[in-house]
Amino acid sequence: MNPARPSSRAETRWGLQLKLILSMLLVGVVPLMVGLGLAFWQGSREIQVVNGESFKALAEETARKIDVLMSDEVTRTSRIAVDPSIILELEQRRDALLGMTEDERRRAMDKLASGWEAKDTAAVQTVTGGKMAGLIQEYLSGAKSEADQLIPQVVRSATKMLYITDIEGNLVAALTTMPPFANKNTVWWKGAFNRGVGQLFIEDVYFDERAQSYVISISLPIMDRIRYGVVGVLHRVIDAKELISPSISPIRFGKTGHVMLIDHRGIVMSCPILPTGVPLSDAQLIPLVTPLQPGWVSAPSDGHGGQSTSLIGFAPVPETSRATNSDLIKGSWHTFVWQASDELFAPIRHLLTWMAVFSIIAVGLMTSLGYFAAHRIVMPVRRLQAAAQLIGRGELSQPIDIQTGDELQDLADEFNRMNRQLEAAFAGLTDQVAVKTQQVESLLHSTDEILDAVPTPIIMVDHDEQVQYINRVGRDSFHAIPTSTASIPLFDILPVDAAARAHLRKEFRRAQRGGNAATTSGTEDAAAISTARDPLTPVMGTAEPNNRQEIQIGSRRYHYQWFHMAGRNQGEDRIGLVFRDATDDSLLQDQLIQAEKSGSLGTLTAGIGHELNNPLFGILGLGEAIEGEADINRVRSYARDIVQHGRRMAEIIRDFTGVAARETSDQRQPVHLERELDQAIATLTTSIDASGLTIERTYAGDTCVLALPDQLRQAFTNILMNAIQAMKGRGVLRLSTSLTNTSVVATITDSGPGIPKQHLSKIFDPFFTTKGQGEGSGLGLTVARRIIKKFGGDIRIESQEGSGTSCIVTLPIIPISPPTQEASCTESASRSMPQPSPS
Amino acid sequence: MHRVSVSLYAAALTILIYGLLWWGPSVLSAKERSGSPGIPPEKAAAYVYAVIKADRTLYTTEIVNRLQAKGVITASEHWEQENALMLPAQFLQHSGKLAAENGSGVRYRLIGLWPIYRRNSPASDLERNALESLRKNPDLPVTGIITSGRQQYFQAIYPDLAVSQACIDCHNGHLLSPKRDFKLNDVMGGIAITIPLE
Repeated sequence: MNPARPSSRAETRWGLQLKLILSMLLVGVVPLMVGLGLAFWQGSREIQVVNGESFKALAEETARKIDVLMSDEVTRTSRIAVDPSIILELEQRRDALLGMTEDERRRAMDKLASGWEAKDTAAVQTVTGGKMAGLIQEYLSGAKSEADQLIPQVVRSATKMLYITDIEGNLVAALTTMPPFANKNTVWWKGAFNRGVGQLFIEDVYFDERAQSYVISISLPIMDRIRYGVVGVLHRVIDAKELISPSISPIRFGKTGHVMLIDHRGIVMSCPILPTGVPLSDAQLIPLVTPLQPGWVSAPSDGHGGQSTSLIGFAPVPETSRATNSDLIKGSWHTFVWQASDELFAPIRHLLTWMAVFSIIAVGLMTSLGYFAAHRIVMPVRRLQAAAQLIGRGELSQPIDIQTGDELQDLADEFNRMNRQLEAAFAGLTDQVAVKTQQVESLLHSTDEILDAVPTPIIMVDHDEQVQYINRVGRDSFHAIPTSTASIPLFDILPVDAAARAHLRKEFRRAQRGGNAATTSGTEDAAAISTARDPLTPVMGTAEPNNRQEIQIGSRRYHYQWFHMAGRNQGEDRIGLVFRDATDDSLLQDQLIQAEKSGSLGTLTAGIGHELNNPLFGILGLGEAIEGEADINRVRSYARDIVQHGRRMAEIIRDFTGVAARETSDQRQPVHLERELDQAIATLTTSIDASGLTIERTYAGDTCVLALPDQLRQAFTNILMNAIQAMKGRGVLRLSTSLTNTSVVATITDSGPGIPKQHLSKIFDPFFTTKGQGEGSGLGLTVARRIIKKFGGDIRIESQEGSGTSCIVTLPIIPISPPTQEASCTESASRSMPQPSPS
Repeated sequence: MHRVSVSLYAAALTILIYGLLWWGPSVLSAKERSGSPGIPPEKAAAYVYAVIKADRTLYTTEIVNRLQAKGVITASEHWEQENALMLPAQFLQHSGKLAAENGSGVRYRLIGLWPIYRRNSPASDLERNALESLRKNPDLPVTGIITSGRQQYFQAIYPDLAVSQACIDCHNGHLLSPKRDFKLNDVMGGIAITIPLE
């Protein structure tokens, strides 16, 4: 409507208005068009039906008229055929011919024929001047007719030839010299003679050379007096158009509507438009219009040269058609009623044109009314839109005034209320913002103070390795100038060599990329990466000293850690680096390790000494006793005791070195873990008091591991012994196994008092024991761990003081256990006997 | 001379042989002819009439009347156009035409004093007189000899009664019918059977 306006707001407004107008137009125009189309279609159909029926009726009526005309003509002609004088003449001629021999007959006829063809006076006189010719003339001129039966002039002039033949088809009487002499082989003669029986024969239209026009012919047999057989044939040739045209030419309706007569071949016999003798222009039309019943058809052409769809009424000429070509089936005549489609459908076309004109006016009206209606709807919407923009900017001072009395007015009221509420809300909001800003500023200040108070250097770096923040300790440690920190690159602050710098950069990028800080050791930078975390949060558990990065800056050694800080409010992410001066820590650590080692050695030495001392003193005592003993039996007894003490010492040393009691082969074999566990507990419960012990088993099944059965059992015996001793023989002992993909986990849980935390780290140390003197060597768990480690497994102790201890043994399982393996597993298990083992 | 007498003798012998050859069969055939039994034309006409009557009765009762009563099809004068059955009278006329066209020589047709079509009016005095007498006495056929030129024919005219309602309806209702008060079993006309005489 106004596309020249460039403003997008204007386009939007017009868009709504345009949509409204288009909707109204569509709502109006589509039903209008559909209605018009249907009306035209239905109207055309009804016009077709009504006119078709009228055409059919007219065709039938005209057919009857033609019938009457033709039967009149036949009747008139038959009057000649039943004339007694003519019959008598022909009877005599027949008898004469029958009386002659074949030769005589042929000779006489040949003579007459040649005479006739040569227009010989005698021959011509015989035919045209005879009694019969005179009679024919009288009939034709009307002299023989009764007063009320005069032949109309038109019929008289239409008759081109009228003549009589005998039973041989030869001419016997004629009015003119025009007719041919011999007719025996013509269709009409054969038809009318009909093997001597005789029948009416009407010939279809054809061009007659002698008469020089399109003609039809009526042939009547002349029967003998007793009407038994044919004695001659009366043949009458009539100009088709002259005969029929007066009957059908006056039937005209409209400008083009008319009736015509065609024969079964579609040849026009009479038509006000087409000349007689021409075929219908469209051969496909002929079967449509020449059935034996009257009807009408909507044909693809009009038969007059036009190719438009035409309405054609048709009807056969009932009585005459019986005689045409001797039979109804061999040929019939049909009337054909037609009017040009243009003329036929002109009224409905005019109606459609007028309706189209009025439709355009209606569409125009709809458009203009639609424009006004849309304008009235859109205007308040535009005002609402403008008001909404003002509210958005907080500039709406006047309430919106829309008085349409509908939903738009309600909407405007809602806008006004919303605006009031927004104003009230904004007033409070400004104060809140000021307070919050102050809070944020103080928070920032306190954060800075806290960071400055932290005794380790902290540096914040942006993506370009530019230092954005450095705390006071950092500034002091790295001699950075606080005023220009924003522009200092990180490595200007950190005075490290090139290799360390490259390593740090790599870590920095890693931290930057995935938000992950590398906490791996400096030597394994390609190893696993752990998640970055806040360095200020307390570390759970003991930190592994090996996982901590270290860097040497100047004379000081620092531990450092990267952390990732997500930027807020679309700010850039930052990477933080926190240092800890570990120079003193390292020294302390070294000293601690040294002390630990010394401590362990001391314990070891003391343990060995203590364990060996007892038998050693026994040996010494016995040795002294032997010195002073004369009784050989007693000496032997002492010697046996010495040997026993020696064996005890050897056992202690063997336990310490971890060598199994029996020197079994070192061939590992598949062993049932659960069975070994069960055998170990069975052995133990027979040797020590376990009356108050409840054993709960939860096994995953028969699990095969590759091990030496005796050693494995000893390991379990050691662990179980510890557990039972811890419970003092009463309580609940839980044994369970569970499977993972590659390993089996055996858990032995007691309900004893648990292990104090300070003992946990030493529990596997050799000779570490909490038991009393002589109760344990302190080697049980050491041996057990060594055995389990040897078989590729692991052992660990979990304990909470006061709530029992769990010993968790993990061993790799045999990955696939085929039947043979299973068999050997079972076999070995049955072979290995329970063997008590000291712990 | 001798040669002449020989020739004469041979000629006489030849004539004798030929004469014997000719005469022999003719004597035999004369014997056959005189011995073959003939039937009088009245009887021949009666045979023909019996066949015609049987055919027409069958057609009228079993085809036209029955099918019309069942509503399957009707009989109509314009049976070709209307896809109907031909009327019994048309049946007789058409069969007569076919019989004539066969060339056997026998002719039969329906004639009447009040025909719908004039071609079915009596053609001769015999026919006219016969129709008149049959009106009064329909029990016996009227016969006679008629001539056309030198040819003689035997003609028998049998009465034709209004055997079905269809006959009456048509003749009483037809536009061209000159008489419209026929009743069932009235003598409406006659069947003329013509047989050529040797």
